[in-house]
Amino acid sequence: MKKLINLTINDRNYEVAVEPNQTLVDLLRYQLGLTGTKKGCEMGDCGSCTVIMDGKAVNSCLVLAIQANGRNILTIEGLETDQGLHPVQEAFVEKGAIQCGFCSSGMILSAKTLLDQNPAPSETEIRRALSGNLCRCTGYQKIIEAVKSVSTQK
Amino acid sequence: MLLPKFDFHEPTTLKEACQILAEYGTKARLIAGGTDLMVNMKKKILSPKQVVSISRIPELKKLDASGDIIRIGACFTVAELSSSDVIQKLLSSLGEGAKNLGTPLIRNLATIGGNLGSARPAADLPPSLMAYGAQVVLNSISGERKVSLDKFFLGPGFTALKPDEILTEIQIPAPQPRSGAGYINIGIRKGQDCNIVNVASFIELNHDGIIQNARIVMGCVGPTPFRAGSAEKVLIGQKPGSELFLRAGSAASSDSTPIDDLRGSAAYKKEMAGLLTRKTLDIAFHEATHRQ
Repeated sequence: MKKLINLTINDRNYEVAVEPNQTLVDLLRYQLGLTGTKKGCEMGDCGSCTVIMDGKAVNSCLVLAIQANGRNILTIEGLETDQGLHPVQEAFVEKGAIQCGFCSSGMILSAKTLLDQNPAPSETEIRRALSGNLCRCTGYQKIIEAVKSVSTQK
Repeated sequence: MLLPKFDFHEPTTLKEACQILAEYGTKARLIAGGTDLMVNMKKKILSPKQVVSISRIPELKKLDASGDIIRIGACFTVAELSSSDVIQKLLSSLGEGAKNLGTPLIRNLATIGGNLGSARPAADLPPSLMAYGAQVVLNSISGERKVSLDKFFLGPGFTALKPDEILTEIQIPAPQPRSGAGYINIGIRKGQDCNIVNVASFIELNHDGIIQNARIVMGCVGPTPFRAGSAEKVLIGQKPGSELFLRAGSAASSDSTPIDDLRGSAAYKKEMAGLLTRKTLDIAFHEATHRQ
């Protein structure tokens, strides 16, 4: 039986009816049309479904939509502001860190959470922070360079 | 990838959660971080009719290190463990396991209680917790009981938990002066891998610098994480040092009972169990000499 939940996604409040066995990523993509969040392995291995929930980056394929009741969700669609793309997004474009683009949403959100907590991460810290996000194009080097270019430690 | 159909319960008190489990028994499964259950449901390994979330029970999220017993609520997340200064200071070996578990995304969801309840032989948290002498608190509608972690794991995926019980808290004796612990896990890569071997060692020295208490726990080399009894015997009553640790490592290696699988040969794992025992004892000894 569907249940009504309330949640905030990209600063907008939503009241939606969800099935108990519906995942957060399916709610985002299929019910709300927020297809920037990708579905890859659906097992919590690849990180393409990364969203930020209450300030923490998580695999949205491992979260039930119903568990997101009352939570604050940020998806890739919520990063751009009136001023333009988020600095991490800019850097990914600038440094050629996007190839097929499938991992980019997750990579960018994981990088953003790292930089929010640690504005000047070392390369090891960057690699560690992105270790839950896989890039099938294996474009890791450019991705690391992009994150480095945004860090305050140039 | 579809999840099986189930009813979802989200109690806000422990009592309510126990009542739900008492009503549904084996038809119900607990969910906290979901990193284990969700995958098992998607793979259709588990199809519970009732899923009971314990994520909104405030008392399961606490960390209390003020007394002789450190109490960690079952829903304390692995990310919280890995970033906690208190854990780093008092239970560094547990913190090390937490930092090495899964990926940042998984650590933000996964809980300490789930890592114990899922009872994977290669799990990152059980060796350190067993080495520290932890026990778990199990609650049900009929009350509460405590089980030593040594007796909690019964086999891969099997524990002493009864269908109507909830693992609510992990209790660890606060480390005494001159005690220390170490944890090392080896895998193919740093993130998102399954350990090949993991070992935690704990030692406690007396005033004369003699080892009076030792616990070595090995993961991945048996159906559950287990104590290397003969390695512990080698250590107790002796003065710590590299020669002694080498002997303890050989004993631990003989205690291990690994199998050949895709992650490594039994012979390799046996060798590594010994090596990691020696190396974690070095870490434990270093911490013990600095904890006054």
